[in-house]
Amino acid sequence: MTDDLKKYRRKTQATDFLIRFFRTLILIGLSFVILYPIIYMISCSFRERSDMNDPTVMWIPRNFTLDIIKETIEAMNFGETLYNTLVLNIGCCIVQVMSCAVTGYGFARFKFRGKKLMLGILIFMILVPVQVISLPLYTQFRYFGIKGVFSVNLIDTFACMYLPALLGNGIRSGLIILIFMQFFKGLPKELEDAACLDGCSPFGAFIRVMLPNSISFIITAFLFSIVFYWNDSYVSSTFFTNNQTIGLMLKNLDSHLSMMLFNDASVQISPREQIVWMQAGCLISIAPLLILYCYLQKYFTESIVNSGIVS
Amino acid sequence: MKKKSYEKRKELYGYGFVSLWIIGTVIFFLIPLVKSLIYSVSDVTIGEKSLATSFTGIENYYNALFSDRKYSSVLWSTLKETIWKTPLILIFSLFIAVLLNNKFRGRTFFRAVFFLPVIIASGPVYSIISGDMADTGNMNAEQFSTLFSNNLLGELLQFLGIYGITENMNTYITLITDNIFSIVWSSGIQIIIFLAALQNIPVSAKEAAVIEGATSWDYFWKITFPYVSPFILANFIFTFIDAFTNPTNAVMKRIFEIRNDLNFGLSAAMSWIYFGVVLAVIGVITFISRKWIYYGNEEA
Repeated sequence: MTDDLKKYRRKTQATDFLIRFFRTLILIGLSFVILYPIIYMISCSFRERSDMNDPTVMWIPRNFTLDIIKETIEAMNFGETLYNTLVLNIGCCIVQVMSCAVTGYGFARFKFRGKKLMLGILIFMILVPVQVISLPLYTQFRYFGIKGVFSVNLIDTFACMYLPALLGNGIRSGLIILIFMQFFKGLPKELEDAACLDGCSPFGAFIRVMLPNSISFIITAFLFSIVFYWNDSYVSSTFFTNNQTIGLMLKNLDSHLSMMLFNDASVQISPREQIVWMQAGCLISIAPLLILYCYLQKYFTESIVNSGIVS
Repeated sequence: MKKKSYEKRKELYGYGFVSLWIIGTVIFFLIPLVKSLIYSVSDVTIGEKSLATSFTGIENYYNALFSDRKYSSVLWSTLKETIWKTPLILIFSLFIAVLLNNKFRGRTFFRAVFFLPVIIASGPVYSIISGDMADTGNMNAEQFSTLFSNNLLGELLQFLGIYGITENMNTYITLITDNIFSIVWSSGIQIIIFLAALQNIPVSAKEAAVIEGATSWDYFWKITFPYVSPFILANFIFTFIDAFTNPTNAVMKRIFEIRNDLNFGLSAAMSWIYFGVVLAVIGVITFISRKWIYYGNEEA
């Protein structure tokens, strides 16, 4: 009996060890696949461009330098670009999260006629890519107003980013509304019932009771929204001709760099060496996101996993 | 009487909450959608104050499918690629989610790492790191993936004295290993959704399985899989849409090319065809999978 038990114990211990071993191996291997470009970026941005031709340099640069980063920041006009991005994208994110939270709450807690149809439209909104409607949307903004009465040209103004965000139609708003809806459905109804008994209007109950209870979820939605806006180059390139945001800048990084840095005919830079600047550009444009992610990571991972978005 | 008025009031409040969205949707979604549908069946020219359209019927659709060789071939290849890649992404993300759902040291770190693609992958950074620089001959993601694709398995089997099977198998394996980078990088959100689903498995089911003496293998197929099945469908749809709306994919590029030639009608028709194909695939998969999906908690 005890022998059997011992044998059994040994067996489970062995399998446990094996499972743990392989799990760690797989996870470390795949983490490397994910982290590889970022490590490579960091490694590239701090080396001199001659290191690119040195076969002995793989990860650790021979000559450390900050020049590449400085030059790239200059070429990207980083200060202004970052300012534009903050004003446009972060502002839009805040507005978008608010409007989506309100809409999601409306869908989660109230019954009204036409709700099914609206939910159908909401799903359709998630399915239809923005590319399908971007051209009519452009004309919509170009001649904004009531046909025959008045029309304003909103292209190149902040309004064409802020208006859709405010009205719950920003970038991937459908998805955020759906997530909020599921989240509010999961909160206990007693919360607002108590507020209503105390004489709060539903809107007051929403602001005073529901919002404070969902702070961590709102932060998550906000992070999602920042990611969508930060990485967007399509929508902003449709509506803006000269406002540079980081997403746009990155998309055309190649041409910007060659205009600013490589225009000098006396300097010959091989395409192989140009990678240094490209990587530095990538690094400084995702750096703000990465730093934000490091701080908010806990909210992001834990609250999504535990909030019951699913269901 | 009073109850009814209360309900009425509540209905009004409901409209109040969603009114912003309704206005926005009409202006920024429904009207443009209808307009683009109109463009797709007409000849669009740039007029004085707005775009002038004249009705031409299905000519644009016909041109898109049969006259533009490049469009149809690109459409077909993109569809094929998405169809074989999506199951791989799903399997991979479910696997990782199950791993990350266990308790072990360093879990927070690994979770943070695996969600990292969510932050970066949708942007232009991804197109830079995933091999837009291939022509420069430098070390990049594509080359990185081929690191794995040496014929290791074939050599192993030959070592064991088995010949011949591996040639077929090898093509599949290289297919996977060559794309391991893009698969890992496009499964961030899917992992999150699966993890959330795994957390929702009731404790009672776990306990019952342990008491019945289920092995981890049994547990996965009898407990985990049924509970997760609805989310496999949701993830499938998400993955498909994500691949489909990605501006870097070939069909989208072709549509932009046509649009930049100011051929708005044709480009609208192309995007509607594309959209229709994707909707059809999603519809078929949803219909087929309906049988196998287990909805444990209907009321939730």
